[in-house]
Amino acid sequence: MALLELRNVTKCYNSASTALSDVSFSVREGEFVSVIGPSGAGKSTMLRCINRMIEVTGGEIYFDGVIVSKLNKRDLRKLRTKIGMIFQHYNLVDRLTVIENVLHGRLGYKSTLAGVLGRYSQEEKGQAFRIIKFLGLNEQVYSRCDQLSGGQKQRVGIARALVQNPKMILCDEPIASLDPNASKIIMDHLRNVSTGMGITMIVNLHQVNVALKYSDRIIGVNKGKVVFDGSPAELTPERIYDIYGSESGDLIVDLGERNAS
Amino acid sequence: MQIEESIKGWGQLSSDEIADTPVRPLNRSSFAMRIILLILSVLTIYALSTIDYNSVDIKKAVSDTLSNFKTMFLQPYSHRFSLPDAFYGVVVTMGLAFLTTLFGGIIALFLGLLAAQNLGLKQVANIIKVFVAFIRAVPTILWVLIFAVSAGLGSAAAVIGMTFHSVSYLTKAYSESFEDLDRSVIEALMASGANWWQIVFQAVIPSSVTYLLSWTFLRFEINFANAVAMGAAAGAAGIGFDLFMASGFYFDLREVGLITYFILAFAMALESLSTNMKGRLRKRI
Ligand SMILES: Nc1ncnc2c1ncn2[C@@H]1O[C@H](COP(=O)(O)OP(=O)(O)OP(=O)(O)O)[C@@H](O)[C@H]1O
Ligand SMILES: [Mg+2]
Repeated sequence: MALLELRNVTKCYNSASTALSDVSFSVREGEFVSVIGPSGAGKSTMLRCINRMIEVTGGEIYFDGVIVSKLNKRDLRKLRTKIGMIFQHYNLVDRLTVIENVLHGRLGYKSTLAGVLGRYSQEEKGQAFRIIKFLGLNEQVYSRCDQLSGGQKQRVGIARALVQNPKMILCDEPIASLDPNASKIIMDHLRNVSTGMGITMIVNLHQVNVALKYSDRIIGVNKGKVVFDGSPAELTPERIYDIYGSESGDLIVDLGERNAS
Repeated sequence: MQIEESIKGWGQLSSDEIADTPVRPLNRSSFAMRIILLILSVLTIYALSTIDYNSVDIKKAVSDTLSNFKTMFLQPYSHRFSLPDAFYGVVVTMGLAFLTTLFGGIIALFLGLLAAQNLGLKQVANIIKVFVAFIRAVPTILWVLIFAVSAGLGSAAAVIGMTFHSVSYLTKAYSESFEDLDRSVIEALMASGANWWQIVFQAVIPSSVTYLLSWTFLRFEINFANAVAMGAAAGAAGIGFDLFMASGFYFDLREVGLITYFILAFAMALESLSTNMKGRLRKRI
């Protein structure tokens, strides 16, 4: 059964424009899905509709057997604990240490009071340390996050998502502010997390070649519509043209590199 | 070639046009400013030239003032007033300052959270900010006198009035400290299932706590100065009241001098204490 299913999802921010129109697709458990499309296509909007950071205008989203839009406040909170999220600008609390930021991922599981007081169990702390070590950040555990490089910050972001024990992680352009080296490290981690822990990944990307290399499946979005949905092998230059329109010139060069290697 | 031409173009531009273009063009607001300054200087000159000096002998006035200052500050002494008395007065005044800062700080913490743009509804935040700005625009002493209508002149009115002004001051300071944390960070925590209170206590306050401390200590210093004034003006006891009695009732310049020195020493001790505490707290955080 599909872990996530979007049925005819529509989102209008205002009457003038529709950010998403009639989007339908489903994602299996453990799948690594990349979402590509030109700027303003609605990729971020789509991702944020899934965990209801944005309310949809129409259609339905099913996650793990429940209809997301029908959840009350309490159940929505529970749902969000099962969905991690990673951002282009990391969105960490800069003045706090790495471990404190990672432990924030546990807040959704705690009572308001325990969360307010910051009472984390020994088990939670142990798990946080294990994840930090797994991501190669053990030397920075007690560093403040504003002292880290971009790649390190993004790894803290991944750790914060992982400590939630999520079934799925949504990544909104996780490597858009990183250099190629750090990008590779981050993408490798995401791929490992997906394969090793069976966590479903939905990753918004700007780089077609990265999407081709890492994904099980690629979804192409243009002007709020899904215009491509298939395996990397099916993404031919013509289909890239469909997704990106006339801007696709450079991207096809990237594709050529892949075919050459 | 092209570059050379364009550089030549620049040269011409600087010699012909830029030379007489003023850096700050005369627009409406700077024009209004100039007019106002002009009017003010005319008024000042007129006022000075029409003052009636006849009843004042300037030489004598200056020498009297100086001799008063001399008695005040070079021969501080009091026969009515012992050191424990003065100390008790200062402690009362400090109590007033401490109490109003504490009350103000606690109330402002919650109002500040509501008034921070990144934490709540924008409309609520704006309403609170406008309201608080209005309270802040009226000086502390006026609030004390306003509350004195119902509470009677004295310490109760002083506490309420000073708390009122502290709340408005600290609400603005706190809410701006809270706004330092980006909205997207708060959204990230929301997306992981954390609720509002958890986010406030685990992310917003920890990341702004050094600012909160600085503002609170600053307000405490302001409140100490205010508390001295309240003692004199609103009969709120403490060293300010002693000062008022010495100057206005007994007309004892030497005692005024003594009390002034005492307040000065205490204020300085307070300042160094607060700097010290801030430093220590900051290191721990
Ligand atoms: N809060 C908002 N209010 C109004 N319109 C919005 C809002 N957020 C996004 N939009 C509009 O919705 C459309 C889709 O935006 P979205 O951010 O989802 O695109 P995107 O594919 O993520 O783009 P990018 O690759 O640049 O991040 C855009 O036309 C954008 O202007
Ligand atoms: Mg986006």
